[in-house]
Amino acid sequence: MSIKRREFLGTVAAGSAIVTMPGFLSGCGIQSATALSTATPENPFMDWFGVDQPTVARVMSELTSRGADTADLYFQHSRNNSLVLEDGIVSNANSGIQQGVGLRVVIGEQTGYAFTEDLTLPSMLAAARTASAIASGGRVVAPQQFNPLATGNLYTTTVPWADVGVEQKLPVMKYIEKQAKSKDPAIEKVAVYWADGDERVMIATLDGKLVTDHRPMARVTVVVTARKGEETQTGYSNIAAREEFSWFSEDRLSVMVDEAVDRTLIQFEARRPPAGEMPVILAAGASGILLHEAIGHGMEADFNRKGTSIYSDMIGKKVAEPFVTVVDQADIPRERGALNYDDEGNKAGRTVMVENGILKSYLHDQISAKQYGLKATGSGRRESYQYAPMPRMSCTFMEDGPHTKEEIIASVDRGIICETYTNGQVQIGAGDYTFYVKNGWLVENGKVTAPIKDVNIIGNGPESLKRITMVANDARLDTGGWTCGKNGQSVPVSQGIPTVLVSNMTVGGENAS
Amino acid sequence: MRADELKQAEHAIQIAKAAGADDVVATVSQSRDVTFEYRDGALEKVKDTTSQGLSIQVYADGRFSNHQTTDLKPQRLKSFVAEAVAITKALEPDEFRQITPPELFEGRPDIDLDLVDPNVAKISREQRLAWCEAIDAIATDHQKVISATAGVYDGTYGSTTVSSNGFSGSRESTYCWYGSEITLRDQGDKRAEDSFYVGSPHIETLPDAATVADTALQRVLSRLNSEKGPTVKTTMVVDSRAASSLIGRLLGPANARRVQQGQSYWSELVGKKAFSDKLTIIDDPLIKRGFASRHFDDEGIAAKVMPVVESGVVKNLYVDTYYGRKAGLAPTTGSPSNRRVGTGSMSLQALLADVGSGVYVTSWLGGNADNTTGDFSLGIRGHMIENGQIGRPVGEMNVTGNLRDLFSRLEMTGNDVYPYSSTLSPSLVFSGVDFSGV
Repeated sequence: MSIKRREFLGTVAAGSAIVTMPGFLSGCGIQSATALSTATPENPFMDWFGVDQPTVARVMSELTSRGADTADLYFQHSRNNSLVLEDGIVSNANSGIQQGVGLRVVIGEQTGYAFTEDLTLPSMLAAARTASAIASGGRVVAPQQFNPLATGNLYTTTVPWADVGVEQKLPVMKYIEKQAKSKDPAIEKVAVYWADGDERVMIATLDGKLVTDHRPMARVTVVVTARKGEETQTGYSNIAAREEFSWFSEDRLSVMVDEAVDRTLIQFEARRPPAGEMPVILAAGASGILLHEAIGHGMEADFNRKGTSIYSDMIGKKVAEPFVTVVDQADIPRERGALNYDDEGNKAGRTVMVENGILKSYLHDQISAKQYGLKATGSGRRESYQYAPMPRMSCTFMEDGPHTKEEIIASVDRGIICETYTNGQVQIGAGDYTFYVKNGWLVENGKVTAPIKDVNIIGNGPESLKRITMVANDARLDTGGWTCGKNGQSVPVSQGIPTVLVSNMTVGGENAS
Repeated sequence: MRADELKQAEHAIQIAKAAGADDVVATVSQSRDVTFEYRDGALEKVKDTTSQGLSIQVYADGRFSNHQTTDLKPQRLKSFVAEAVAITKALEPDEFRQITPPELFEGRPDIDLDLVDPNVAKISREQRLAWCEAIDAIATDHQKVISATAGVYDGTYGSTTVSSNGFSGSRESTYCWYGSEITLRDQGDKRAEDSFYVGSPHIETLPDAATVADTALQRVLSRLNSEKGPTVKTTMVVDSRAASSLIGRLLGPANARRVQQGQSYWSELVGKKAFSDKLTIIDDPLIKRGFASRHFDDEGIAAKVMPVVESGVVKNLYVDTYYGRKAGLAPTTGSPSNRRVGTGSMSLQALLADVGSGVYVTSWLGGNADNTTGDFSLGIRGHMIENGQIGRPVGEMNVTGNLRDLFSRLEMTGNDVYPYSSTLSPSLVFSGVDFSGV
């Protein structure tokens, strides 16, 4: 923990947020917890954490004893497994269990926070007193009974990951390796990285809600290294979703393998584009990274209530052409960024950030919603019980527009197409944002001519929105395993977009004069 | 030795061996972390937490795996460890997966690294508030300030590692950081923003809070009216703070894992002159009060000072025991400690005067590098260098090239080491760098 914080403070610029494909930056059998008293039988989550309604009420009462506008207890148990296949064998596994409860008190814009990994009453009461110290008012009336809300069904599974053994995953990893190796004699090494996890969350709120959510997640990555003569190139692909084991069908894995092999081999022919400003075509799918960085982060309402975002004074204003509509939507079944409820216990749903070119709504947590006099958009998320929630994206995408991909390519005299990405970052106040293009294409005289690789693209959020001059009708969400980082907290996200033309961006390239 | 942790770690080893493990390494850790954030005249966030964890590495039947948990209840621990052993046995055997040989534990230095300041655990709420208020007073003292957050982050960390083949060792450290993040109104809807934080294991070595806030404010003020600079091939001066992360990128694939997996442009470089004479990088785990100082590494290997690059010649890579065996390389250490980058004699001002014109980079924005080829492209913010001085602020630009090539064109290094990072680098000067802008 301390190392992480030191390095974070030492190296990450102010007001910035990032999105990455982990690993590509130059980076259960659980029984019920200690029984305090008889668990409520109708709620398996209570049982899971070894607490009951009176215990939760007692802790909530202590937590709000010095006043609160909002308060919550966030119980979480997560279990993650990963496996590594390198050089033909699976000889490394990792598993991690994290369990604890985070306790939060909010008064106005002030937050008191503590957590404990010891779910006994004395330990939870001590943490509650620590968190409550931020407040100095009188006791508020805490609920004696919490009302369970209906559980969501966006990512229901029949077999939890805890019940899927290593012996079931090994053949799948071997299959991926074999498929990849067979594609081309230049392929020297194939590595396969498997990750799965189950997360159980129970949130009790000051207004008497009890929200439970079982959140599965899986991600498989294949990395291909090929050699031709003296030259070596590496490429990869991955797929991720809130899914169960049966989702990893041969068809789905084959698509991933083909992508990884294609992306690797094309690099032997790929070059850097010329440096400077030019039109940029964003291919449908993963190019949603543009939305995540150029507008999504700037629309998170914590930055706006503080006035630190470039979008702070733009609600209701025209920011793009009428065919541009940008949405953040959590209730998309089984997507990596999907959520039934956010981490404050609010129903997660659809927020239109830009509608027909007009800036409509920020992404709100409870703190910002109260300040703006609005309803929270269900955007309060946290990495784990160790952190207080803040406004975050879920699945961010642009809806279809009136053009076609072919029209867009034909309209460009000299520019590039961006296809695959490793990471992006944004400066919230200045609006400058970047994304790193791993694979792409040169466009000359309306035709795709040659492959390009390894260029950073930089632009300014509001300026880029204005410069979206064409939007095609082929929108899709990317299936890759994106992770968003903000203020030291990582959460899974999804992103998508149709083929789009941005009339002018700055492309990192070579041969500047 | 931290007695409770030692007992828990030894207990975990016993359970794992009883469950069928041949060899086990167990680490028990505890930490306390306190955050105070203060914004625009009021305390905004207080977070006070203690955390614990156990991690075990299991070797069984020629197989290996590793596991972590925060749930240390005795009955839970038992099933956790038993399952860890079961998972291990379900994997494939790998002759290279072996516990660290005891001879690598030998020669552990016993010098006092001075990583613990007993005063950190005693920092009071009043002291944290006083730092916040001192920072806030300076950070908000400008008419263009929209928002300024003062932050104080302090904590203590301790852990004990024991192995079934004779290793035992403990770590203890404290930290205290404070500083500010400031946003100023700029042209139109734009805001200028920057931050400056200082930290150390020891409170007494920190500069005064008001001075830190003033540095943060001056940094942001210098960003006002930033514009996109030109597309040009010119000299790049990287300031010492930004240089730390560039050195980190350079060294990213300088390890046995990347080399063995065929994903490193460092593969054939050991013993060769690969970079400019001006480049020297020493991995030094024995710096007193260093952020990454240690007596032993993650595998228990005794800490020693290791040259990575000397005058442009590659001397050593980061080699752990597993990938070292696979690649036929002798183990050094698989995990970096502090990195000292060789310094020159000139101040930043003298370097800029010597350069005359070019781009002075103060921070990066996104970008990445391909570990296999070394090709990189990074977003930058900084200033134009005009007549040997810091000129107009620029941003929304990229710098693009190849890391090996870039560091072969390292022309000068400064004498101004940035102290608030485990990578201790001075300002760096590179010739012939491709910038893309207008």
